[in-house]
Amino acid sequence: MLIYDIWFLFIYMFSVGNLIFVSKNKHLLVVLLSLEFIVLSIFFFFLVLLMFIDYDMYMLMVFLVFSVCEGSLGLSILVSMIRSHGNDYFQSFSML
Amino acid sequence: MLTNNNSNKMFFLFILFFSTLISISSNSWFGCWIGLEINLLSFIPLISNSKNLLSVETSLKYFLTQSLASINFLFMILIKFSLLKNFDMNNIISIMMNSSLLMKMGSAPFHFWFPNIVEGLSWMNNFMLMTWQKISPMILLSYYFNKNFLIFMIIMNLIIGSLGGLNQTSLRKLLAFSSINNLGWMIFSIMISENLWLFYFLIYSMMIFMMISLFFLMNMYFMNQLFINNMNFFIKLNLLINFLSLGGLPPFMGFMPKWIIINFLLINKFYFLTFIFMMTSLIIIYYYIRIIYSSFMFNYFKMKWVNLLMKNNMSLINLSSFISISSMILSTFIFM
Repeated sequence: MLIYDIWFLFIYMFSVGNLIFVSKNKHLLVVLLSLEFIVLSIFFFFLVLLMFIDYDMYMLMVFLVFSVCEGSLGLSILVSMIRSHGNDYFQSFSML
Repeated sequence: MLTNNNSNKMFFLFILFFSTLISISSNSWFGCWIGLEINLLSFIPLISNSKNLLSVETSLKYFLTQSLASINFLFMILIKFSLLKNFDMNNIISIMMNSSLLMKMGSAPFHFWFPNIVEGLSWMNNFMLMTWQKISPMILLSYYFNKNFLIFMIIMNLIIGSLGGLNQTSLRKLLAFSSINNLGWMIFSIMISENLWLFYFLIYSMMIFMMISLFFLMNMYFMNQLFINNMNFFIKLNLLINFLSLGGLPPFMGFMPKWIIINFLLINKFYFLTFIFMMTSLIIIYYYIRIIYSSFMFNYFKMKWVNLLMKNNMSLINLSSFISISSMILSTFIFM
């Protein structure tokens, strides 16, 4: 843990990803992309952390499997939404 | 989900049960995160099964909030791991981890998705959402919590749960706000001891099960359906007993866990918190009684040309009423 400046990069990437997630977008796909960006920032963070434990990257692979599953679940929900509503705009929601 | 059969549901229910067990019995925080992810992965196919627009929107909202919460949870786990804060529980990292777990549970101030989603689900899916989905975040909350932050969250839960239900006409949203209020009690009980939380949770799930099975059997989703049906007297009585038990009134079953928590609060001199617990319970009982009195006294329909809604087998309804009334007294006969 010799250089601590790299922490700012991870926190910045994570914060930007969260910011895009909570912003008002027109499409649903932007929200799913921001989720994937957060996953990417965590992947980077995890990689750097695991490098300090003698390059033991197995947990990183498990994390990657689960986050890919979650991303594909998001996409399948997007597909079912397009099938029923016709588009992926946020304005076509009708529930409150 | 083109074929909507039971084997699909059984498969996903099986994985749902195991995901909670993975999450609460893991050795590291990463295993907890894996359990929460599998929970999300297996709950979404359970709720997106029907072919109307509402179920798509519901599963979308559920997915977005839960995945954001669990990915934030993982980031905070990594920060906690990198800064080596394993035993110091009163810092900002525990606040962040608790916030993401509270968002997964649907507790205030992250509760805004909860009444929306409850409005779009059927009764059985609501039952799973209100009971089983709360187990894993609660137990994870007890592993690393920030006491001051959680007490503030409890107060918010109680107030929002009681005041939010005042203007509702939909039964599902009413039970959702009641669930948020009971989350306040449950978070406090898990800060005391896990055994007490298990006791409160079991009794709460039994009460919710009795109410939801009654509404499910009569296919009622809104409050006006309680008044215009031509219900049998015993079904209305069962409704009265279950509502009052859920509110926590003394001779019924729902009073017992609240009694134990209030006992602990008063012995340890949490006087202000006791005041808030009591007052918000009063508001909740007010709007339950409002419903039941309307059903019993002001809107009592006895139409002659419509058959009475009497079930062929009333034993389930009678049994649930008997359990609700007599549980507190019978529990004193257990010498353990």
